[in-house]
Amino acid sequence: MTSSLWERIEPLLSRVERPARYIDSEWGAHRDSDASYRAALLYPDTYEVGMANQAIAILYDRLNAVDGVAAERVYLPWVDMAEQMRTQSVPLFTLETCAAVASCDLLGITLPYELTYSNILEALDLAGIPLRAADRSDADPLVVGGGPCAFNPEPIAPFFDAILVGEGEDAALEIVAAHRAAREQGYSREATLKELSRIPGVYVPALYSPNESGQGASALVAQAGAPEVVTKRVVADLGAYDTPTCPVVPFMDVVHDRVGVEVLRGCTRGCRFCQAGMVYRPVRERSADQIVREALAGIRCTGYDELSLTSLSTTDHSQLEEVMRRLTRRLEGTGISVSLPSLRVDAFSVSMARLVGGGRKSGLTFAPEAGTQRLRDVINKNVTEQDLLDTVSSAFTSGWRRVKLYFMIGLPTETDEDIEGIGRLVSKVFRAAREATPPQQRGGIRVGVSVSTFVPKAHTPFGFDGQISYHEVLRRQQVLRDSMPKKGIDLAYHDAQVSLLEGVMARGGRELADGIEAAWRGGARFDAWTEQFDLGLWTTALESVGLDPHAIATRSFDRGEPTPWGHISSGVGEGYLWHERERAFAGETTEDCSFDDCTGCGVCGDSGLGVDIVLGGERRGSR
Amino acid sequence: MAPGEFRLRVRYGKIGRLRHLSHLEVIHAIERGARRADLPYAVTRGFNPHMKLAFGPALPVATAGLSEYFDIWLTRYMPAEETLNRLAGAMPPDLTPVSSGYVGDDLPSLSAACNIALYEMRIEREDLDRGTFAKALDAVVRSGELTVQRKGKTKVFDLARSLSKEPRVSVDQTGVVVELAVRMGQEGSLRPEALVGAALSRMDAEGAAIAVTRIDTLIEDEKGCARPL
Ligand code: SF4
Repeated sequence: MTSSLWERIEPLLSRVERPARYIDSEWGAHRDSDASYRAALLYPDTYEVGMANQAIAILYDRLNAVDGVAAERVYLPWVDMAEQMRTQSVPLFTLETCAAVASCDLLGITLPYELTYSNILEALDLAGIPLRAADRSDADPLVVGGGPCAFNPEPIAPFFDAILVGEGEDAALEIVAAHRAAREQGYSREATLKELSRIPGVYVPALYSPNESGQGASALVAQAGAPEVVTKRVVADLGAYDTPTCPVVPFMDVVHDRVGVEVLRGCTRGCRFCQAGMVYRPVRERSADQIVREALAGIRCTGYDELSLTSLSTTDHSQLEEVMRRLTRRLEGTGISVSLPSLRVDAFSVSMARLVGGGRKSGLTFAPEAGTQRLRDVINKNVTEQDLLDTVSSAFTSGWRRVKLYFMIGLPTETDEDIEGIGRLVSKVFRAAREATPPQQRGGIRVGVSVSTFVPKAHTPFGFDGQISYHEVLRRQQVLRDSMPKKGIDLAYHDAQVSLLEGVMARGGRELADGIEAAWRGGARFDAWTEQFDLGLWTTALESVGLDPHAIATRSFDRGEPTPWGHISSGVGEGYLWHERERAFAGETTEDCSFDDCTGCGVCGDSGLGVDIVLGGERRGSR
Repeated sequence: MAPGEFRLRVRYGKIGRLRHLSHLEVIHAIERGARRADLPYAVTRGFNPHMKLAFGPALPVATAGLSEYFDIWLTRYMPAEETLNRLAGAMPPDLTPVSSGYVGDDLPSLSAACNIALYEMRIEREDLDRGTFAKALDAVVRSGELTVQRKGKTKVFDLARSLSKEPRVSVDQTGVVVELAVRMGQEGSLRPEALVGAALSRMDAEGAAIAVTRIDTLIEDEKGCARPL
């Protein structure tokens, strides 16, 4: 565990904030100094943000189980530590054995959200690894990305040797195996990358070049031998994989400081703005038995006092009630609580929350997303005003005094009437909350309203339409403020500048890589941190390489026009997305295929992925 | 303490890399360790039930400790040796339980009772001469007072009160070692680095790294000085 690198790191710790970010030694960490293959798994943000990431926990577990392989964690040092490391020539290091990242065989980088792109360059630079894949030699680690942003990888593609699209449970092991085999054969880097491109779901950017003809779905064309379209990886049966029940338990307070069991993967509610809903299909539930068993094992092994049942839509799990009853019975009197991440707007969710909370009634969160029924139909968010008011009433009758509501502005077809509708809906929610609360307690009622700006994402029905302009965002935020009641309401909305940069990164192509590099060279990092974010710096950088951020974010695509992500497939057919877009503009809603009939999105049938819906039981009624 | 509960006192060390933990981080780590150890811990009543646990005086970030204490209340009796074995198997290596034993229900809390801390400080500076340093430290102690600025506040310590015995300066292969006994109290205790730092700055040697270890935490009363366990 002690290495000469640690001896150079330790003296820096008294000069930086939160040294616990850098000291390793946590319960559950795997330390293997003898492994012949070392994989560094980087989350491109601080320790306390990255430790919450379940994907890394899964890959850490699976890779460490392989003979001869050690997977180790890496987080991006905060600016104070990075500065110390640069002055003292300390390279980016892994936590477990304090190995220099550049000395590892593989550097896996999670791509959680667009605002981490500058951090990826910061990490590569601190590690002393050439930023561009094209400049790396056989001595450099293989740099592989994966995660939500892999569905539009182009802005960062030149920085990666390979990018995995979709789920990594099996694919990560295949990548490592292929890399080890290639090394044994003495393959060059180029030959190794060719090998990797044969693994389903693996995209090797170097093998794709600009589509000069402008024909076809993609802005890039594959070189001979590489797949024309890279289709995501997906595991058929989530239940066949174990939840990491002994994950690393941090010392410092981290985001989501609890043990998580992923109860299901995928969501087919079909919200048309939602990338996660489109790209993680189909729905695959774990069984109640497995969930309860793994939850208890997780608590035993970690010592956490909180357990979270995670997924995109946990209250949709067909056996949730059974799971909750069994867990609350088993955990009675232990001081250990269960939490549910997101609640559907319905009475069932409130009754589940009641089981969870016991005495704790901190606050409930619901996401109606839009202020009018018309717009909720357009986006296929099947929540009515009455659903919301009834749910709020039942929550406040049960003793809750706080709710938080999530909305978006900038959705396709939105008018000022829809934005004012948010204000009206919030007023009604407040009234419903008051009526359900005894008079002497009404002073404590708080309604939090959080409003984000819609960023149209690749592989969704709304991904063909550009983001609304920056100035229009500001104007609509003004309409929002003017229409929002004041008393008892806490309004928060996303910074329009941040949303613009998100739009640029979500919608742009490979041309953005030069801009990202220029921004990082100009000092951009930790863009998701308000105190570090500087749009001016980004605009200057993008303009310096001839790019107009506003034009990129607001760009729309016609049917048949190549998109920057046309060579990547989530399994959902492009025809289906266009069809859904048409239905949206006609105000028609689409059912959830895990409750009703197949809607023909293509994932289960045409994609050749060999997957289907997996449910633990019957889902509770049709919607 | 509710009837039928047992108050177990545990002595532990916070050493190695884990000396960089804050007091709050140590508390969380021990809570989690006690759950992993499956000790039959008692839980407080109320809306937000949590483990019944109480700690001795906090150790700052970067300060190691060899003799730190916490009390945990158990709902059933378990031989002290078994509690220790279970904890030892459930704690990260540098947060090590050393001994455990049951204590009386009527004893005051650890944080109120512990009033003396013994520190060992290693000054990590090769060219430091023991004799010169000892003289400088002696001069600071003789001056009777030490003014400390921390987080924008100024505090004046009466050294005759704050130090429970004369500092000892020695030398070993790593360099100069200082032993201090500091009185702890409600009004805030003297940080030993401040005293050593003042001596170093008298000899224009400030800035040297000081590795601080609290080697003992003691309870002093009319009868003398004793360990809490
Ligand atoms: S309910 Fe809608 S927004 Fe939520 S994950 Fe499913 S599709 Fe996405």
